[in-house]
Formats: sequence, C-alpha cells, structure tokens
Amino acid sequence: MENNLKFLDPRTLAKLQGLELRARSIVEGYVSGVHRSPYHGFSIEFAEHREYSQGDDLRYVDWKVFGKTDKFYLKQYEEETNLVSYMLVDTSESMRYKSADAPLSKLEYAQCVAASLSYLILQQQDSVGLVTFDNEIRALIRASSNPSHLKQLLYVMENSEPQRKTQTGPIFHDLAERLKRRGLVLILSDLFDNVPSMMAGLKHFRHRRHEVVVFHVLDPAELEFPFRQTTLFRGMEELPDVLTDPRALRRAYLEEFGKFLQAVRKGCRGQRIDYVLLRTDQSLEIALSSYLASRMNRLN
Amino acid sequence: MGSLPPLLAFGFGNLLMLGWLAAAAAPILIHLWNKRRYREVSWAAIEYLLAAMRKNSRRMWLEQWLLLLVRTLIIALVVFAVAQPFLEQAGLGFVPGQRTLKVLVIDGSYSMGYKPTDKSRFELAKQLAAQIVEESAQGDAFTLVLMASPPSTIVGSPAAEPRDFLEEIENLKLPHAGADLPATLVRVERILQSAEDAGEMRKEVYFLTDLGRNTWVPDLKDAEAAEYRQRLERLAQQATLVVVDLGQAGAENLAVTNVAADEPFATTTREVTVSAQVRNFGTQPRNHHPLELHVDDKRIKEAYVDVAAGEQARVSFSHRFDTPGDHVVEVRLGTDLLDIDNHRWLSVPVKEQLRVLCVNGKPATQHMTGATDYLALALNPDAGNANAPGAVQPEVIPESALLERDLSRYDCIFLCNVAQFTSNEARVLENALKHGVGLVFFLGDQVLPDRYNRELAGEQGVRVLPARLKELIAEPQYQYRFDPLDYRHPLVAAFQGREQAGLLTTPVYKYYRLAPEPTARIALAFDGGDAAIVEETIHRGRSILIATEGSLSSTGAGAEPWTTLPAWPSFVPIVQEILALAVRGQMTEHNVEVGQVLGDSLEALATRATVSVTSPNGSHEDVRMAMDRQSSRWSFADTHESGVYRVDLGAPVSRNEAFAVNIDTSESDLTKLAPEELPKEFTTHKRSSLDEADSPNISHRSGVHKTLLYCVLGLLFAETFLAWRFGHTTR
Repeated sequence: MENNLKFLDPRTLAKLQGLELRARSIVEGYVSGVHRSPYHGFSIEFAEHREYSQGDDLRYVDWKVFGKTDKFYLKQYEEETNLVSYMLVDTSESMRYKSADAPLSKLEYAQCVAASLSYLILQQQDSVGLVTFDNEIRALIRASSNPSHLKQLLYVMENSEPQRKTQTGPIFHDLAERLKRRGLVLILSDLFDNVPSMMAGLKHFRHRRHEVVVFHVLDPAELEFPFRQTTLFRGMEELPDVLTDPRALRRAYLEEFGKFLQAVRKGCRGQRIDYVLLRTDQSLEIALSSYLASRMNRLN
Repeated sequence: MGSLPPLLAFGFGNLLMLGWLAAAAAPILIHLWNKRRYREVSWAAIEYLLAAMRKNSRRMWLEQWLLLLVRTLIIALVVFAVAQPFLEQAGLGFVPGQRTLKVLVIDGSYSMGYKPTDKSRFELAKQLAAQIVEESAQGDAFTLVLMASPPSTIVGSPAAEPRDFLEEIENLKLPHAGADLPATLVRVERILQSAEDAGEMRKEVYFLTDLGRNTWVPDLKDAEAAEYRQRLERLAQQATLVVVDLGQAGAENLAVTNVAADEPFATTTREVTVSAQVRNFGTQPRNHHPLELHVDDKRIKEAYVDVAAGEQARVSFSHRFDTPGDHVVEVRLGTDLLDIDNHRWLSVPVKEQLRVLCVNGKPATQHMTGATDYLALALNPDAGNANAPGAVQPEVIPESALLERDLSRYDCIFLCNVAQFTSNEARVLENALKHGVGLVFFLGDQVLPDRYNRELAGEQGVRVLPARLKELIAEPQYQYRFDPLDYRHPLVAAFQGREQAGLLTTPVYKYYRLAPEPTARIALAFDGGDAAIVEETIHRGRSILIATEGSLSSTGAGAEPWTTLPAWPSFVPIVQEILALAVRGQMTEHNVEVGQVLGDSLEALATRATVSVTSPNGSHEDVRMAMDRQSSRWSFADTHESGVYRVDLGAPVSRNEAFAVNIDTSESDLTKLAPEELPKEFTTHKRSSLDEADSPNISHRSGVHKTLLYCVLGLLFAETFLAWRFGHTTR
C-alpha cells in the first residue's frame, strides 16, 4: 500500500483540493447545474421525470407529458452527475528515459500524475478507467467510481514494463472505438511517434465526442540537450545509435525538437484538445494546478 | 637582375624554436582522441537527433575543420613568433638561396669614443656588427672596413667563417683620428668589385656610425665632390647602403684644442710659459671646469676654466724645467663623455743653453769690427753676469773652422759676411738643415754672390738659401728703410706698436737684391719693395737670409757701412727674433698629430744604433735604421693613438726622446648630421638612444613577431566567436 501511495504526493492533492473541482468537469458537461452539458440528448440514457421548478432549463421540459398532463415535467438522465475519465498512460520504452538531473523517469512522472488525478476523480465519486499502451494496448481497466478501484489502477500502473515502441495512431483509433461512453480522455505520453498518425487518432477521440487532454511528458534533457562531451546516444525503441559532438549538434537538435513540439501543439489546438507540457523536473502540483486553473478560466 | 623589384627575404632569429611547430598538431590529436573517448547515454528522442544529424552533417564537418584550422594556426603562429622571425629587405632583389656579401664599415673617428652610457658608440658599433654577422644566413660572407683617416681594410676578401671574423671585430681599436668617408668609399668599391669578380652575390654595405657632420659632410673641391657623388651612385647601384645611426643629437663636449709654449725654445735657465686652449663644442656654458698641468706625469698645477658655449678659453702656466732633455707637458681636462680630447701633450726639448755657432767671415781688425762681434753680444745680452747665465751660448769660429765642427750639435748657425762656400761646406750646411739646425746668413762686403748662388742656391744640387743673390743695391747718400709688410710675419710681429725699438728707422745703405725662392717667405722688406729678410724651411731646418750686413765689418777705408743696424736699438730684438724663428722648428719637431710619422736623422755612425719606440699603450717596438748618404734615419708610422711615444736610441747615440702625438680636434665637434640630410643612396636606420644597447636590433631587418602575436590575438577572438557561433560553448 505504501508503495502504491508513492504516486499520491499529499502536497499535490492538497493543492488540488483547494481549487474548484468543478472547474475540470468540462467533460462531464454538466456538474450541479452550473453549466449546460455539451452532451445533452445524445447517448445519455433516460432515468426519470422530475417536476419543473423555477429556474430550470426549459429545454429539458418533456412536452409529451405536458401535452398529456398539462404539467411541466423535466427529463432526468442517468449520467448527469457522473464524470467518466480515461487515463491513457504510455508505457513504451522511450518513457523509461531519465536524465541525470531529472528526479523521475517520464513514466514514473506520468504515473504520478495519473494516480493523483485518479484519486481526485474517485474522491468526487466520479469514474475513472486506465489504459496502458505501447505499440498495443497492454492493460485496459474499465471506468469505475468505486473508491477501492484506485488500488487496482495503481497496481496496473506499477507493474507495467516499458519495453516496446510506441504506436499511438492505431492505439488511439482502437480505443476511440472501444471507449463507448463519452468522457474525458487524459493522455500521458512523450508522444514520440509519427505526429500525423497520432493526430488522426486524437481526432477519432474528438469524433467520438470525447474531451481530450494531452499531458506531454518530457525530460528536461530532451528540451535543453545539455550534453557537452562527445557522446554515443544509444537509440531507444529500436532506433540506431548516434555518436556525435553534442555541442555542435545542439542548435540543430533543438530546432528539430521545436518543430515536433510545434506540430503537436498545432495539432491539438486544431482539434480543440488541451495540451499541457509537463517537464519531469517540475513539481506535479504546478503541472496539474496550472492546467486546472486554465480550465477554470475557460469555464468562467 | 637590377630591374627586379625589392623583395623580402624571410629568416628566423631562433631557428631551433621551430621544432615546437609539432605542437600545432595538438588540436587535431585532441580532436581524434576525443572521438575515441566518449560517454554513452540512452536517448529517447533519437529520432530528432538523427534528423538534425542528417541536415547538418556537412555544416558540422566544415565548422569542425574550420575550428581545428584556427586552433592549429594559433599554436603555429605562437611558435613562429617565439622563433623571432624577421624580414630582410633586399635592395637588389632577393634571389632565394643566393649568398649575401655584407661589408661592415665601422666609423673609426674618435667621436665614436663618446660614452653616454657604460658603452661607447664604438663598442656599440662593434656589438651591432657582431650581431649582423651572427644573424646572417649560412653562406653569407663578410668584409670589414674601419672608416678612419686613412681608412683601413681589416678584412678585405670575403670571409665565410663567422668565428674568425667576429674575432677581428672584437680586436678593433678606435684610432684617435677623424674619418675619411670618400677614401672609405673607394675601399668599399674595391671590395665590391673584387666580390663581383668572384661570383654572383647580393651585396649590402652597413655603415655603423655616429653620423658626425665633419665626417659625413666631407670638405671636397669641385672635382673631388663630383667623383664622390658618382662613386656613391655606383655603390648604390651595386649594393644596399645601410647607415646605422649611433649618434646623439646635442651631445656636449669640451676639448683641449691646443697646447704650445710661448717661447721658441726652452732652457733650464728660464721659465717656459705653456698656453692651453680649451674649446666648448657644446651648447651649454661650462663654468669652473678643472684643468691640470702635468709635467713628466707629475701634477704641477691646477686651474679652473669658464668656457661659453661654442667659445674657447686660454689658460697659461709657467714652469721651469730643472733638467735638460725631452720633457712632456700634459694638459688634462676634467672628465666628460668623450675622454680622448680631454688630454693634450707637448714635448718640450729642454737644453741647458741654446748653442749657437757664429761663423765669422771677416775677423776684426779693430774693436768691434769683426763680422760677428755685435751679433755675439746681441745673442747673449746677459754675458758677463755670472748669476744669471744667458739662455744662449754663442761660439764664434772663423770660416775656415766650419768643416771641423759637428754642426748637428748646434741649434743655430749664423754665417756672417762669409765670402764663399766650398761644395763640402755647402753639403755640411745642408746636412745641418736636415738635422733641424737653423741657418742664418748675414751678407757683407766679402760676399761673392755668384759663389753663393752656385754653391748654396741649388746650382750645384745643394740648396740651403731661401733666395738667390742678385746685384748690390747702393746709392750714395741714400738710406733705405725697412717696410714691416704690416707686421704679418712672426719675425717682425713683436715690433708692432713698438716704434721706439727703431725697426722702421734703421738706416741701410747697401744690400743685395734678393730673388726669393717660390716657397720662401719675405719677413721684412725695404721701402723700395726689395726683400730684406727671407726665410724658408728647408729639410727640417729653417734658413734665413738677411740682405744686408749684421755688423759694421764692412766699414773702413772711407767706405760707408752697409747699415748701422748693429748699433741700432732694433738689432738685439731682431737678432733674438731671428734666432727664435730659426730654432722654432725644434720645439715643434717632437709634436705631431695622430697618423703622422715619427722620425729623426742621425749621423752615419749611428747606423748601428737600436731604436725602440714605446707607445702610449705600453707596447714596445724596435725600429730599423735606413741609410741616407751621410746620415741614417729612423721612422715610426704606427701613431694611431694619441699620447706620448718614448723613443730609446741605443748606443752609440744613447739618448731618450719623447714625442707628443695629439689629435686633430676638428672631430671633437660632435654636431650630428640628421639622417634625412644623408644622400638618398643611403637607407638609414635610426637608433633613438644607446639604452637599446642590450637588445640591439638592426636596420633593415624588421621583426615580424609582433605582427604574428597580433594575428594570434585576432585568431583567439575568432576562435571564441566561432566556437560560440557554432554552438561549441554552452549557452
């Protein structure tokens, strides 16, 4: 248990509890009547009728019942207050990378973020599911709002073995088909993959009316390339090795990497997908709270 | 070849340092070593690294080699700079591999003895000459000329062995004389000519000089000046002429320019006044400067002299010599930066008494009617005063005794009213002149002018008279008077302003008209224009001819006297002046200038005598005698140093003599020629001060190490910038 709790950094949780949790409920569409759900009337199962009271939205008046009974009844739906979230954690080999200065590998960092968010979601009695993947789906845990569900999630995350290459495009297409219930898809990955293919996958999620948040987890060394002496860079995910003077190549590498980031950002913006860059040397609370704060700003 | 433009030859002062050029390979080795020594890192974002590599591999390769090139260059240039590279400008065009003949001309004028620091200009010139030799390329040849007066070719044929040549430079001594530039150029041209014959060589002539104006602006007549200019132009066509300027402008100098005795002869019986002239050649007045009088190396007196800038002052000392023989008087100035001209010597031959022989041509028949009676009195006016012996000891002999005497033992011989001379007597008299003895001829009624002219005036090959005798001039009742000719001649100069001495009122009734030799001088004339006293230096002695009588011996039998001069007040002073003039040569005989020959004639019997000369520097040299008919002669020419030369004449002469050899003080004027005043044929190299003596650098060689170091500095900046630009530094 203690081992599982290593993802639950109390400082992170404390910080999140201080924020309006409703603010991140854009996916669930409608939380305590504060906002209109973006999902109204579509694939949401009818639960019961309720008598109209002042201030209710007239759109939900059941006019058939009014025709029959001359009274105003509102339709109520089963999922109205339930947020379904899916954590998609990349467990490919590249996620294992950890530079000398970074406190955690990218995978460890992603697991921390996923665990923290799962915990919070479950605290709100919302449902959360988990998918780990590399070039195929390694684990898929259906969403559940049971608080004990967290343990299972943590167990799966902890026992994932990063070994293979990433293939986000086919995985995302597959998941978009398999995750029937619209919800919030939280992707935690370094996204080292073919960007157009990946974007096509994300687009599929959006097509399925999922709200998508991309947490782009990167090591600071990947962003800054601080190497000085001649180095043999051993390629992960079956890519070739490179022996070079990193000082001579730094500018060119940063340019290439910048293009990659730019392409990802641009793709996300085009799909109305939230993009959050997470550096593994940044504290988790800064990463999460900055995202949540921006979410809240958008709601307001 | 002459049409080729001047090129630059490259050389190194420290060739061994070039071994460090191997260090220039260090950046390449480090680069290769770094490639072998790397760390390993697993890398997730390899895809982007590979993309960067693909796009930039060519650029990286170029940048890497550019940086390597810059770094290698930095090391190579530092090594080059340390190896002291230099550029040599070749005036006639440089042909790689061609040898160079370097003619080193060192100024040997004594102003090079000027010593503003611990090194004199001459020592510095030697040092620089040695440096030129040491820094020359292998195969270069050298010759050495000392620009003195006369110039001296020390090494005439090109020497290829630097060690021996350096020894010659080291052994150079500064002569105590001026420098003869035109004659030096003749020597240089001769050297270049012989080198031309020997084969193709590049030629450079270095003049290491203080650029003294008196050397570099030679006083030449028109024809000589034209020849000098032409020679200079020829030399400039053949060789590069480089002047290394070692002089300092505004150099101060004080010199003793003259030392002389006021009296014509010195005896132990009276004091001699020695006068010294001190000249200030500088621009600052010199006050209270000490001056010492030394006699025979003992300090006798001291004085202080004030000399304004550019002026001269005169200081006189009186001294009485106690013993006969040659005494040396030295006037010594307090030290200044040029010591050579602070001393001046005077060799004074001191006698107990002056020995004068009076040859009486007409013995007295009555009291005071002899031809020499008045003369003997006039020569020694103090005769009879036992307490004050006279300076002159006259000895009267009849003309028949002339051949019996050794005339060389006398200082002066008066020949009075002697009728005629035999050939033998003429030769004896000539020999006396050769020994420096003075001859004085008084005429009279006994004289046979034809015999005089034949035996004594050169008709028989012997000439002892300064003039030929012509007709007798006499007009009854007419008194001829003397014309002093503006008192120009020293013989009568003493009479100027002393009319009471009666020179101009002296009556003369008869005289022989004289026809002076072209080389003779008229000291006194008659009012009609005829010469009254003629004098000439013949051989080493002086011959003086008086046109009339020196006694009253021609009087009698009703005949008028030739002159009443002997009874006139002017007689004693004029006889004394004649004597002084006749013996004056003896006083100056042992005083010569640097470079002049010392020598003396001795009697034939002295041929076996040994002559040893001791120079001022203490070296001894034995001199051989040369025979000359009735006498033998020795001479010594190596008088390049000023000072006292002591001559030891061995048996049978057994005599010691002292010769004072002094400098020509024109070289004491240290006025310097500005380099831009030099003829355009010369390339000048200025040296601001002698302080550079410890690290002398020569004229046309320009050190390029500074430029190289500036390049290194530039490359260092470039390397830093490039490394930053290429991303080789951490940002």
